[in-house]
Amino acid sequence: MKKSLAVILSLIMTAFMLTGCGGKKEAEQSADAGGEKAASIYMFVSSPEYADAIGELIKEYKKVKPNVTVNYETTQNDYPTLLKAKLNSGECPDIFSSTSGKEIGVYLDYSADLASQPLAAAMTDPVKAVMMSGSEVHGLAIKGNFFGIVYNKEILAEAGINSFPQTFDELESACEAIQTAGYQPFTSGFAEWWVFKHVFQHFMYAAQPDDVEGLVNDFIAGKVQIKDYPALYNDFFRFIDLVVKYGDRKPLESDLSTEIAGLGTKKVAMVAGQGAWIEADVLKIDPTVQIGFDGYPVNSDPSVCKVIAGSDQALRIYKDSAVLPEVLDFVNWWYTSDYGKSWFSDVAGVIPPVNGSKTPDFEIIKQGNAHVEAEGAGTLGVVYSTDSFHQAFGEIMQSYVAGVLTKDAACADIEKKWVELEGK
Amino acid sequence: MNMAKRSLTRDIETTLFALPAVILVSLMIYLPFLLSGYYSLTEWNGIDKEPVFIGLANFKRLFTGGDSFISSLVFTMKFTVLSMILVNVAAIALAVALVKKLRSANVLRSLFFIPYIISMTIVGFIWKFIFSQGFDNLYELTQLGFFDLSWLGDPNLAFYSVVFVGSWQSVGFYMVLYIAGLQSIPGEIMEAALVEGAGAWTKFFRITLPLLGSSITTCVLLSLINSLKVFDIILALTKGGPGGATYSVTLDIYREAFQNNNYGFGSAKSLMFFVLVLLLTQIVLRGFSRKEVEL
Amino acid sequence: MMKKQRTGIIILETLMILVGIFFIYPVFLMFMNSFKTFGEVVSNVIALPKSLEIANYITVIEKMNYPRLFLNNLVITSIGIFGIVLFSSTAAYILDRRRSKYTRFMYVLIITPMLIPFQTIMITLLKTMSSLGLSGSVWGLGIQYWGFGIPMATFIFFNFMRTIPKDIDESALIDGASTIRTFFSIILPLLKTVTVTVIVLNVMWIWNDFLLPLLMVNRSPDTKTLVLSAYTFVGQFNTQWHYAMTAMVLAVLPSIIFFILLQRYIVEGVVAGAVKG
Repeated sequence: MKKSLAVILSLIMTAFMLTGCGGKKEAEQSADAGGEKAASIYMFVSSPEYADAIGELIKEYKKVKPNVTVNYETTQNDYPTLLKAKLNSGECPDIFSSTSGKEIGVYLDYSADLASQPLAAAMTDPVKAVMMSGSEVHGLAIKGNFFGIVYNKEILAEAGINSFPQTFDELESACEAIQTAGYQPFTSGFAEWWVFKHVFQHFMYAAQPDDVEGLVNDFIAGKVQIKDYPALYNDFFRFIDLVVKYGDRKPLESDLSTEIAGLGTKKVAMVAGQGAWIEADVLKIDPTVQIGFDGYPVNSDPSVCKVIAGSDQALRIYKDSAVLPEVLDFVNWWYTSDYGKSWFSDVAGVIPPVNGSKTPDFEIIKQGNAHVEAEGAGTLGVVYSTDSFHQAFGEIMQSYVAGVLTKDAACADIEKKWVELEGK
Repeated sequence: MNMAKRSLTRDIETTLFALPAVILVSLMIYLPFLLSGYYSLTEWNGIDKEPVFIGLANFKRLFTGGDSFISSLVFTMKFTVLSMILVNVAAIALAVALVKKLRSANVLRSLFFIPYIISMTIVGFIWKFIFSQGFDNLYELTQLGFFDLSWLGDPNLAFYSVVFVGSWQSVGFYMVLYIAGLQSIPGEIMEAALVEGAGAWTKFFRITLPLLGSSITTCVLLSLINSLKVFDIILALTKGGPGGATYSVTLDIYREAFQNNNYGFGSAKSLMFFVLVLLLTQIVLRGFSRKEVEL
Repeated sequence: MMKKQRTGIIILETLMILVGIFFIYPVFLMFMNSFKTFGEVVSNVIALPKSLEIANYITVIEKMNYPRLFLNNLVITSIGIFGIVLFSSTAAYILDRRRSKYTRFMYVLIITPMLIPFQTIMITLLKTMSSLGLSGSVWGLGIQYWGFGIPMATFIFFNFMRTIPKDIDESALIDGASTIRTFFSIILPLLKTVTVTVIVLNVMWIWNDFLLPLLMVNRSPDTKTLVLSAYTFVGQFNTQWHYAMTAMVLAVLPSIIFFILLQRYIVEGVVAGAVKG
C-alpha cells in the first residue's frame, strides 16, 4: 500500500513539473518570435465534423504567417451555452459561430461588419444573403449546404423504382415496394431535434413558395395558424406519419449515427432530415454505396419537390477583438488565397461558399447542383427562426411522434412557441 | 482585563482558522449566487450587454404556471422518490447478502462499487450505447420483447431508464455504507435472535432494519440531495427527450437560460429550486430523528 | 441444520455472482467494444472482438493528446484536494471546539452551498472567476474546487470532530502549545481516517467532473481534462463508436486503477466519513 502511495505521489510531482515547464516554453516561444508582432487568435466554433480540415487550414496558415497562432476549439452539443458563458465573462472568442439568418441579429453587439473586406466580395450571393444585417455583412460560412432526401439508388432500383418519387402518392407506393423487396424504406433520426427543422423547411417552402420569410414572420406575429396551410397541417404531418410507419422500429431513438449506419450498411433506402454532410461518413462504412439525392415529395404537386441549398451556419468575427487586424487577415486569406479556395473542395469536401472554386467530388453535391440547375431550389427556411425555437419545435414533434400530443395540440404548441421565443 | 484580552485573541484565532473556508465559499458560490439573484429580477438573454430590470415579473410568471418548470418539477419529484426507494432497497439487499460469509464477497463488493467511480457523463454514454445498439443485438439473439421496447424513445419508458441508470451508478456507494452499518451491529444481538428461533424475515424487519437506523438516515438524505440535482446522466442519456419527457429541474433551468435565451427567467427558476431543495431536505431531516446527522 | 445453511450459502453465492455479472456487463461491454474494428461495432455490439484491435488505442491516445490530459487531471485534482483538506479541517476543528453563535453562523454559512444547484450559478461563476484570473488555466481550476469542495468536506470533518474527546487538545493547550501547533501535531493525525474519506470522495468527484471543466478549461487542448476530451470525442466521432468507446475507456481507466490500488482505503474511507460522522 505504501508503495502505491509513493507511486501516486511521484506521479503528481512529475505532473507539476511537466505542466509547469510546458507553460514556460510556450511563453518563451511567443516572445522569441520577433520580427512581426506575435498574435494568437482564439477560434471557438461549432461543427466538430470539420475539426480535422480546419486543423489543416490552420497548419497551412502557420506557413504564411509564422507569428500568428490560431487556437481552435470546437464542441457540438453545448455550443450556445459555452459561447454565452464566454461572452459574459468578457472572454469573447475572436471567431465564433451562430446560425445564419435570424441569429445574425442576435449577436450584433459582438460581431464585426465585414462588408468592406475582400472576403465579402469573394462570397457567393446566396451565402451572403443570409449573412446580412441591413447592408452590413456579419458572417462568413464554412460551407454551402444541401438539404433533401438522401437515398440508396441500388435499393430503389431493386424495388423497381427507376426515378425518385416526386409526389406523395408515389412516395407512399415506393415505400410499399421497398418493404416488399425486403428493405427498410426510411430511417428517421427523430431523436435529434434538428432533423425536424430540416424536414419542416421543405414544407414551409411548399406552403408559401414566394415568401417563406414572410410566412415565418406571420407566425412569429401570431397572425396565422398552421391549419391555414394544407402543406403544413396535412402534408407535413402526413409525411412524419409515413416515416414513422415505414421507418425505424424505435423512431425516437434513431439519431444521426443510426441514420448513417442504416444507409451505410445498405439496410435502409431513404434518410430523412439530412443532407450533404453525411456522405463522407456513409462512404466510410461502405465506399460502394450508390447515393442518390432529391427533394421531399410534399403533395401531389411535383413542382414543390425541391432540394434546398444555402448556408445555415455562420462564423462571426468579434468586433472588439484585440487582434482584429490579424483575424481579418486570416479569414480574408481563407476566402481569397489559392489554398484557401481549394481547401473547401479538396480538404473539407464541402460546397465552396466562395466564387470561382471547384465543386468537390461528392454525389450529393453533384446531384444537388444538377437539381438546382434543372428545377431551381427551395428556400432555406431554417434561417428565419432561431435555434431556440427549433429545439422547442423538435421536442413538440417528438411528443407528437410518441403519441403524447395530438396533431392539433402539437400545432397549438408550435404556434405558441413561435410567438413566445421569437416575438421579442 | 486578562480575560478580555484572551477572549479577543481567541476570537481572532477562530476567525483565522475558519476564514479561508468562508472566503473561498463566498467567492466561488455566494458571489455568483447573488449575481444570479440580481439577474432573476431582469429580462436578459445572456447575450446583450445590458440586462433590463423588470422587478418581480419573472417570479410572477413562474407562479402563474403553464410553464415547463412545473412539469420538470413533477418529473424531478417522481425521479427522486423512485430513485430513493430503488437505490436504498437495492443497496440494503446487496449489503445484507454481502455481509454473509461468501467466498466472493470482497470481489463482489468492489464490482458493485465500480460504476460509482465512473464519470456520470460516461455512464450516460455507455448506457445510451447499450439501449440503442446493444438491445437491438440482444433482441436478435434472444427474441425477447423486453429488448425490443424503445427504452429511450418512449416517454414513459425513458423515465424508468433514467431512474435505472442513475440507480445503477450509485447503488454501490450506498451498499458500502449499509455494509458498514450492518457490521457495526453487535453479533450477540443476532445470535440471541437466532436462539429465540426468529425466522429470517422477522429477524430482518424486527432487528436488522431498526439497528440500521443511522445508516438509513444518512443514505436517504444523501440520495435525496443527489437525486434532486440530477443532471449529467440525463444530459448524456436523453438530453431531456424524447419530447421533453425527461427534463429535470436542473436541465430545465439550463434550457431556459441557454437554449431559450432567458437568463433572467432561468435565474428566477433556479432560485425557486434552491428554496425547494432547502425545504425538502429540512422536512426529510425532521421526519427522521435528528440525532444522526446534523445539518 | 448446518447442511441446510451451507446449501443456502451456496445458492446465495451463485445468485450474487450472477447478479454481479449482469451488473458489471455494461462496463465490460465498453471495454470489449473498444477493441473492435469499426465494422465489428456496427454489425454486432455484443459479439466478442475477433482480435484485439490495439490500433484504436494508438489513434485515440494520439488524437486526444492523452499524456498531457492525464497530467492536467493529476494537477487539477491534487491542487483541489490539498486546499479542500487543509481549509476544511482547520475550519471544522475551530468551529467544533469554540461553540458560539458566531461559529454556528460560520458553520451554516460554509455548509449551506451543498444545497445550491450548480446550474444556478453557472454563467455568473465564469464571470467572477475570470475577473479573479482563475479561468482558463489548470491551476486556476484546481483552486476553484476549493470553494466547491469545502462545504461537503467541512460537514464531514465537523461531524467526525465531535467524536474526538476535547480533553486531548485541551490538555495540550494548557501545556502552552499554540492552537495551530495543537491542530497539526495532535488533531490532524487523529483525523487520518476521515481525511482519507474526504480525499477519496473528492478525487472521484474532481477527476470525473464535467460541467466545471467544460466552462473553465475547454479553451485550449493544453488545459483540457480527460472526461472533457472523451465528451468532445464522442461528439466529434459520434458515428465511430469504436473510437468513442476507446476514448471512454481511457478516461475511466485511471479512476478504476486508482480504485483497485487503494480499494481498502476507499471503502473504509467512504464508511468512516458517512457513518461514524
